[in-house]
Amino acid sequence: MKQDRSTTLYLGPQHPGITGNMMIKLQLEGDTIVKATTHVGYLHRGFEKLIERRNWLQSFTILCRMCVPEPDPNEENYARAVEQIEGREVPERAKYIRVLVLELARLASLLLWYAGQPGSAGLYTMGQWSVGDRNYILDLFEELTGGRIYHMYIWPGGVRRDLPEGFGDRVLKVMDYLEKRWKDYDRLMFDNAIFQKRAKGVGIINPKKAREWGVVGPPLRGCGIKSDVRIDEPYEVYDKLDFQVPDMYKDGDVWSRALVRRFEFLQSISIVRQVIEKMPQGPVFNKIPNPHKWVVPKGDALVKTETVRGESAFYVVSDGSNKPRRVHLKGPAYIHGFTLLEDVLVGANLADVSFIMNSLGTCPPEMER
Amino acid sequence: MEQELLDLLVEHFQDRIAGSVKSDKRVEIFTSTSAIEDVLMYAKNVLGYIHLVHFSCVDWIEENEFELMYAIFSPKSKITIMSKVRVDRENPVAPNIDYIWRHANTFEREIREMFGIEFTGLIAEKEMILEDWIEMPPMRRDFDTAEYAKKTFFDRPGREDAQDVRETIIKRTGEELPEFSKKYSR
Repeated sequence: MKQDRSTTLYLGPQHPGITGNMMIKLQLEGDTIVKATTHVGYLHRGFEKLIERRNWLQSFTILCRMCVPEPDPNEENYARAVEQIEGREVPERAKYIRVLVLELARLASLLLWYAGQPGSAGLYTMGQWSVGDRNYILDLFEELTGGRIYHMYIWPGGVRRDLPEGFGDRVLKVMDYLEKRWKDYDRLMFDNAIFQKRAKGVGIINPKKAREWGVVGPPLRGCGIKSDVRIDEPYEVYDKLDFQVPDMYKDGDVWSRALVRRFEFLQSISIVRQVIEKMPQGPVFNKIPNPHKWVVPKGDALVKTETVRGESAFYVVSDGSNKPRRVHLKGPAYIHGFTLLEDVLVGANLADVSFIMNSLGTCPPEMER
Repeated sequence: MEQELLDLLVEHFQDRIAGSVKSDKRVEIFTSTSAIEDVLMYAKNVLGYIHLVHFSCVDWIEENEFELMYAIFSPKSKITIMSKVRVDRENPVAPNIDYIWRHANTFEREIREMFGIEFTGLIAEKEMILEDWIEMPPMRRDFDTAEYAKKTFFDRPGREDAQDVRETIIKRTGEELPEFSKKYSR
């Protein structure tokens, strides 16, 4: 009988270190990974098929559920795709409100990452703090949209309703608080020797291969490549706002990706402040037809948004009827969770699997939809 | 700029492609399965379209064809090319492009499973999301979701007499259904 030193280990589908219901089949030698294969299918809800049987407005309730930690970019993306196919205009104020919602969602999602990343290295205090702070943003969302996680607030032609009285001031108050907390996070997480030792030199992505592997978002910027949809193809009002995209972290490891996100946290706070300051007065939506009779002309559109985890692209096709022909989401996790994760995990330590997954932003609900 | 790019592509591939400027920063080209690899390789290696943004499939059942859409992006020109290829629905075969972009492998696996399109030379596990699937690929337009659900799953105890809410209301009250909601009724 042939002797084999390797062990097969199935990590997931239920595992506290995995970022959702998915499984990774690991081939181990000692505790070093020699082969990793992603297995999905535990969270497939057939959203894209469901959307084909719903009218253009009903799809919104499904779209936002495609990614649990970050539902708003999906709404915005789909709304923008429908607007592009139809040639529908959006009022200027609605564009500003959309950016406000997107950036608040980005901060909320970053705060979840602030919990998951050190949490997978055993630093649980950080998670208690950041998830607690995230509640202040969810409170704002609740006031604005009625929902804490899923909002269905952005729709074709604008947003559903205007900001409540004094909402801007409350947002600014939360921003001031988060900026103060950002320094505390630094002391607890980035100054921590354990976190530094765990993060440096782990989960390295080769910058030369990054584009060929389709890497996007913080993992790409962590390789020193300046790429951000908000800069490359400015949507809504991002071209009128001043913010920076980091390209100074070049190591391509978990530590670089963490520094990129740390940098982007402050940038988001700055964007929110600019939006509140520059937001014009005016209407917030252009009327849409009766949803039951709403027919979108034949055509297709490819739209992109920068989410926390990277570039997210929607391909929306209309056949001229009252239902979408096809709505196809390519989220960043679709790239990072399969081929990239399988490549990056080879040579890594078993204990680093969930640590690396968190840094790549794998999100199973988005991977299988 | 978009028009220049289109002219360049048409000049290089002559009658193998046709296209138009779709909108700002979007160029749409139509080509065939035999030419798509050349087009993508040329765009990537010569023109600098190094990022595969999206790879999607649409079932045009009325025309008995599938449409594959490859979206590629250049960080330099910031333009996205949407290359579209039609594949025969009866014998759906398309070339494999995962040697050009590694992550195309994932897209191809999903399209193979959900639409039943074979990619020549694709090496990957057959099953991705579905398990022991013996029916028609489920994302095809003629796959009957309701029929499949009826055949596969059973009603929860107490739900055997599940009724259409609208019909029940009509029976009880004798109200007329509004015109628009008739088509949603069973």
